[in-house]
Amino acid sequence: MKKWPAGLMLLILLMLPFPALAGVPLDTVKSNVNGVLDVLRDPKLKGESGKKVKEQRITVAADKLFDYVELSKRTLGLNWNKFAADQRKEFVELFKTILKDAYVDKITAYTNEQVNFTKEAPLSENTVEVQSVIVSKGGETPIYYRVIKKDNEWKVYDVVVEGVSLISNYRSQFREILGNNPPSMLLETLRKKVGKR
Amino acid sequence: MRQRGPRRDRRRLCVPGWTPCLVLLLFLLLGLTPLHAASDSPDPDTGAGVNVPAAGEQVEEAGSIPSAAVQKPSDEYGNVTEDVGGEELRIADPIEPWNRAMYHVNDKLYFWLLKPAAKGYKYVVPEDFRGLFSNFYRNLRAPIRIVNNFLQGKPGYSGIELAKFLINSTIGVGGLRDCATECFGINGRDADFGQTLGKYGVGFGFYVVWPLLGPSSPRDTIGWIGDWFLRPQTYVSSEWISPVGVGLYVHEKVNDTSFHIGDYEAIKGAAIDPYVAMRDAYVQYRKKLIER
Repeated sequence: MKKWPAGLMLLILLMLPFPALAGVPLDTVKSNVNGVLDVLRDPKLKGESGKKVKEQRITVAADKLFDYVELSKRTLGLNWNKFAADQRKEFVELFKTILKDAYVDKITAYTNEQVNFTKEAPLSENTVEVQSVIVSKGGETPIYYRVIKKDNEWKVYDVVVEGVSLISNYRSQFREILGNNPPSMLLETLRKKVGKR
Repeated sequence: MRQRGPRRDRRRLCVPGWTPCLVLLLFLLLGLTPLHAASDSPDPDTGAGVNVPAAGEQVEEAGSIPSAAVQKPSDEYGNVTEDVGGEELRIADPIEPWNRAMYHVNDKLYFWLLKPAAKGYKYVVPEDFRGLFSNFYRNLRAPIRIVNNFLQGKPGYSGIELAKFLINSTIGVGGLRDCATECFGINGRDADFGQTLGKYGVGFGFYVVWPLLGPSSPRDTIGWIGDWFLRPQTYVSSEWISPVGVGLYVHEKVNDTSFHIGDYEAIKGAAIDPYVAMRDAYVQYRKKLIER
């Protein structure tokens, strides 16, 4: 029979996975997030002595994962343009420090949760949302990482937890300050916050 | 004070990623916040698309999908040419002084009462048991999900939630186990009355922080009241406030909080203005549930 091979081939073709379609952004985020988790779970890094090393390694892993400049720009939006060149750099550094200070302690407490990367959804030409879910005894928490492609690398510029976007959240806070004050005032507020800890 | 409510329906946990529980968990923790629904599966019901898009009155605007990035990699500190962050959500806050005061009251309640209680409880009760209680309370909120999925034009999910309720209440031993999900892989969909109103086109109105209950709005407050009548615990006694009813509520709250100690602290610590951060998280979270 002649039709057989054609039908069979079609069937085989249909059964082939399409690896090309789901791929690079998700894998990148996954491996970088796992990089952070590996540090967290490293049994050698226990106790006070291990803590310093641990924090340093997390910082390195986090730098690979995040694009802090992109994150800062999107947080400030058009207000970014009001910042002078050196103010922009300072802002990025301060913002990065604040995020780290706030979350490093927190994440060091998480070692046993299971993280599943579920899928990726395109947002625009060069941005993609990588969706993941954290599973624990208390339930599930969806975490979406929004990544942007620059120089052939995918880096995170926003994290959306349970529908709440990190950059939008900061944006509303900064807006209140920048509404009536110059950029230097916001920088001063951030410096104080960083200095306090 | 009267306790009520269905809080959001799924326990959230914090995240191990680098940026764990951002802002979100806030309101859950905040004071004894009853925040409702979250949804389990984003997938639309059979009747997907029936949702009336809330043509809300407020200033709320949708906004999450950021527009395309504009900068060239070569000049990463250069100007942005369009508003790359996407629009932000806003909510009217005409009673901000009251809200800020209540925010502080709830903050103190958390640190002085709820957190110590949850810590002690967590120390004494093994995680597995706490997980069972979580399932138990979640199962009791099934009527809220059944009714509201129906009201939102998703009868398919109403049926699924009803099936889950029956399975978990029986095979799951009174709801202690979520056997519907674990044994049969049945996933439901969270729904609450505030969300239903939002889908019908009712806007937030404005921002309100209730003592004990946390961030809300007139719409969601009405939502809580509606949901409260659908909680079986509401009817354990003929009085509105009974020792058993209060005890159950407190236990539910403490049990839930035991999974989230540290979340609120992280959010607060990360915020420049914690009050504004919470308000924004509330708006984003609720908005998202309604759009879903």
